[in-house]
Amino acid sequence: MKSFRNINPKSLTEAARALQDPKAMVAGGGSDLLGMIKEHIVAPDTLVNLRAISGIDTIARRGNTLHVGGLATIDSVSDHAEIRQRYAVLAEAAGQVATPQIRNVGTIAGNLMQRPWCWYFRNNFPCYKNGGTTCFSITGENEFHAIFGGGPSFIVHPSDTAPALVALNARFRIVGPQREREVAAADFFQLPTVNPAKENALASGEVLAEVILPEPKANTRSTYVKVLDRESWTHAVVSVAAVLEMNGAECRSARIVLGGVAPIPWRVPAAEAILQSKSLTEALLVQAAEKALEGARPLAKNAYKIPLTKATVKQALRAASGLRA
Amino acid sequence: MTPLNSVGHREPRIDALLRVTGKAEYTGDVKLPGMLYARLLRSPHPHARIRSIDTSKAAALPGVRAILTKDNCDTVWSSGDTLGQRKLFNNPLRFTGEAVAAIAAVNRHVAEEAMALIQVDYEVLPFVLDVDKAMEDGAPEIHPGGNLSPNNQRRREPQTYKRGDAAKGVAEADRVFESSFTSSHHNNAQMELRTSLAYWEGSKLTVYASTQGIANCQRDIAKDLNIAEPNVRVICHYMGGGFGNKNQSHDFDLFAALLAKEAKAPVKVEFTRKEDFVAVHGRWSSKQSYKIGVKNDGTLTSIQMTARTGAGAYRKSSCDLSGTEIYQVPNLETATTPIYTNTAVAANYRAPAYPQGVFGIESAIDDVAYALKMDPLEFRLKNMTRKFRDQTPYTSFGLEDCLRKGAEAFGWKQRWKPVAGSGTGPVKRGAGMAMGMFGSALGRSSAVAKVDAKGNYSIHVGVTDCGTAAKTTMGLIAAEELGVPLNKVTVVWGDTDTCPYSVGESGSRTTVQTGEAVIAAVKDLKKMIAEKGMPTGTNDLVAMVTTNPAAIAGASRQSFVAHFAEVEVNVETGHIAVVKFTAAHDSGRIINPLTAESQVQGGAIQGIGMALHEELRYDPRSGQPLNAGYYGARIMTHMDAPKVDVLWIETEDAYGPFGAKTLGEPTIIPTVAAVGNAIYNAIGKRMRNLPMTRERVLEVLA
Repeated sequence: MKSFRNINPKSLTEAARALQDPKAMVAGGGSDLLGMIKEHIVAPDTLVNLRAISGIDTIARRGNTLHVGGLATIDSVSDHAEIRQRYAVLAEAAGQVATPQIRNVGTIAGNLMQRPWCWYFRNNFPCYKNGGTTCFSITGENEFHAIFGGGPSFIVHPSDTAPALVALNARFRIVGPQREREVAAADFFQLPTVNPAKENALASGEVLAEVILPEPKANTRSTYVKVLDRESWTHAVVSVAAVLEMNGAECRSARIVLGGVAPIPWRVPAAEAILQSKSLTEALLVQAAEKALEGARPLAKNAYKIPLTKATVKQALRAASGLRA
Repeated sequence: MTPLNSVGHREPRIDALLRVTGKAEYTGDVKLPGMLYARLLRSPHPHARIRSIDTSKAAALPGVRAILTKDNCDTVWSSGDTLGQRKLFNNPLRFTGEAVAAIAAVNRHVAEEAMALIQVDYEVLPFVLDVDKAMEDGAPEIHPGGNLSPNNQRRREPQTYKRGDAAKGVAEADRVFESSFTSSHHNNAQMELRTSLAYWEGSKLTVYASTQGIANCQRDIAKDLNIAEPNVRVICHYMGGGFGNKNQSHDFDLFAALLAKEAKAPVKVEFTRKEDFVAVHGRWSSKQSYKIGVKNDGTLTSIQMTARTGAGAYRKSSCDLSGTEIYQVPNLETATTPIYTNTAVAANYRAPAYPQGVFGIESAIDDVAYALKMDPLEFRLKNMTRKFRDQTPYTSFGLEDCLRKGAEAFGWKQRWKPVAGSGTGPVKRGAGMAMGMFGSALGRSSAVAKVDAKGNYSIHVGVTDCGTAAKTTMGLIAAEELGVPLNKVTVVWGDTDTCPYSVGESGSRTTVQTGEAVIAAVKDLKKMIAEKGMPTGTNDLVAMVTTNPAAIAGASRQSFVAHFAEVEVNVETGHIAVVKFTAAHDSGRIINPLTAESQVQGGAIQGIGMALHEELRYDPRSGQPLNAGYYGARIMTHMDAPKVDVLWIETEDAYGPFGAKTLGEPTIIPTVAAVGNAIYNAIGKRMRNLPMTRERVLEVLA
């Protein structure tokens, strides 16, 4: 493991200033970062440790929004009473991240900014994510890669909480060296066509400080269904975050976001439209699931994700709506 | 079966408390003053010739104490291949991860920094990953003479077995079935990483190893370094598993010893998890084809099996396949051809030749049973072996009871569906079973039995306990023979300076071979006590006996096993859950039911992992491994592991310590096949390739 300098800024602004150094990297929980340094995927000279900054790991209501500090652990998010009750999709997603050990140290911001788990990237292939000009999955081993939004990189976004937060219409507060900004979760994640080396809109010298959850509409029901390759500790093969605003059996509005299928959390508005202002029936859910996968473009070895995702969308919609198959 | 006093009772491991409180000192825990840390530079290419290596920059880095490469080290690692020719550093390099240089430095950071400073000029060579492609004309030649790996007699030919005449058996058959199966290379994945710590005092070498056999390790190190065996001391008091990949001395022991000599300081070699997966060895892959002849009444007339197995870049074991021996059939012909490829080396992993071979034959037989509209259990009862190779009687035979009583305990009649795939709804249940047998390897062992004036007994045995609770087993055997409780017996183990020779914990033979030595030594001690009386003052009475059981004339000694699995398969998501598992084992008398149950549970869970998840994947274009490690290999977690119900079929057997037969390896033999057969019963589709992943389930259902 390469040696590095560790600094402990006392404020986010101070941290953001330190992060303007291109050889500096931000360390929250550090659970993935240290592994990446050991595997020689990244080689920072300086780690900007956020853990000395007070007050950025709290979860607190301010008026009608809930503010989750970037350094809040994934475990604390999954276990938070109000999140469990009013933002179930987020609690469920957080509760299925990795392992209990990782959830205890991993942070919500770290989970949202986690680098891809594409095996080419993680094995130091000179791919787009490692600064190269190729995506090795296209003609390689691609069963875990994108069926939507791929190109030029075909990674899938690894975060469980990201689809949940896009589905909840969350906003992210970002602190830079000079100023702060707020961005919608849906705009934070960026397709590889924008910059194939990156997964999001965070600029160098910026820190993801806080997740802001809007007041949920009345009668909102939500859930997160994750398909793993074993019963725990894999990233989502595919996942579905579903948020339904209900009025009796009628669905006022729906937000459906897929994980594990695209380089970003993949919202499916056409499927959402099928449910909008309708009385939910099994047939309608099946129709929405079919619609959700329209336009999917599988690579050589991941066509199985299409029926798998359809089944998972159905399962999520049934769970959120309370309908039984 | 006559009940005994110590043997046969559930006894916690004698070192359980030390292990769970962290007081047990494993090899990786040992630290010595002035100790250096070593790292290995490894080949980034699957096949390349080294034109030159420049270590000058690395050597100049402050803190670097020794560097070994092919240019200054031509030591042969004799247990690195069956021909005894593999060197520690080879040129050309034959797989991604093969050692290029070993560096010892004052700390890990410096050693890693030095790695990056070594400049290697590689001539990249064409490579081949697949056994069939390796046999095509014009395939890259991995070793001189071609990719068909030569056997111990240096002959390039398949390993064959033949009885009767398969063609005749096919001609006599009413129906003939042909089918093919594949299995993948996967890693032993033991918890403890590879580590070795060596230091020299003059000409005496001490190695703290992580080994399944301190005596083998001592012998191999002495041979490869050309020093006398008594000048090598190997210590391993606690080890964290190996499942067959820590049998002999390993390159990491030799690297540690050679670097320590060069640096004149203790050196600790540590492999990462990734190195453990790509640079040591795993189970060999296979491509198997079967032709089975059967009468309409379900009587087998013929079995033919031809296979290619993937040896990897070096041949380190038999690379054979087992499984067909479980059937009574007059005409049986098998031929297995080990092939070199530019991939990780394949060698011993718990019942090395079995679970993949049994997956093939037991899947093929299952298909035959369904085609004849027979219950697969009944088909097996009709055709199971009754004599070894249809000729030699068994010393004891519990296979029929494993099948009948196992089926009853499992609830076969209620769980197995006569029409495969007939369940309703997206989540389909099904039941499957498979069977196997395994004979312990033979081997010489010694034991020392001692008593002092206070009546304290001690047993010195050269075991390390690779996870089987061997220390406790040896203590129980001694206690039983002495007629004293276990707490009156101290077991001394794990150090070649204080323990006599033991054959090593491989081939499932510690209980049945080293256990015999313990009994013999205790008998001698009892005789001495009877003749001389108990010792007085500071005197001890000491007996040492070496036993070397010969093969039993006119009989075959085998353990038998049948596994039963029930699965749920979601046909929409491809999700598979093993929901019930019953393991029926005839291992003769069970010495310690508590730890024996753990063995069965561990073996079955490993088998389920092999069935559903594990496979070392390579990128076809670069020859780079993609999923080395616990995360990538999808090793079973606690949440994946079903409850494994263990049923003992304790046959009376006249041999072995108190009639004990072997257990460690049989525990994984039929597991994979049982799970595959259960999946077939659930979905009505045959999974022909391991691992049986979600993707493959959805593929066969599409």
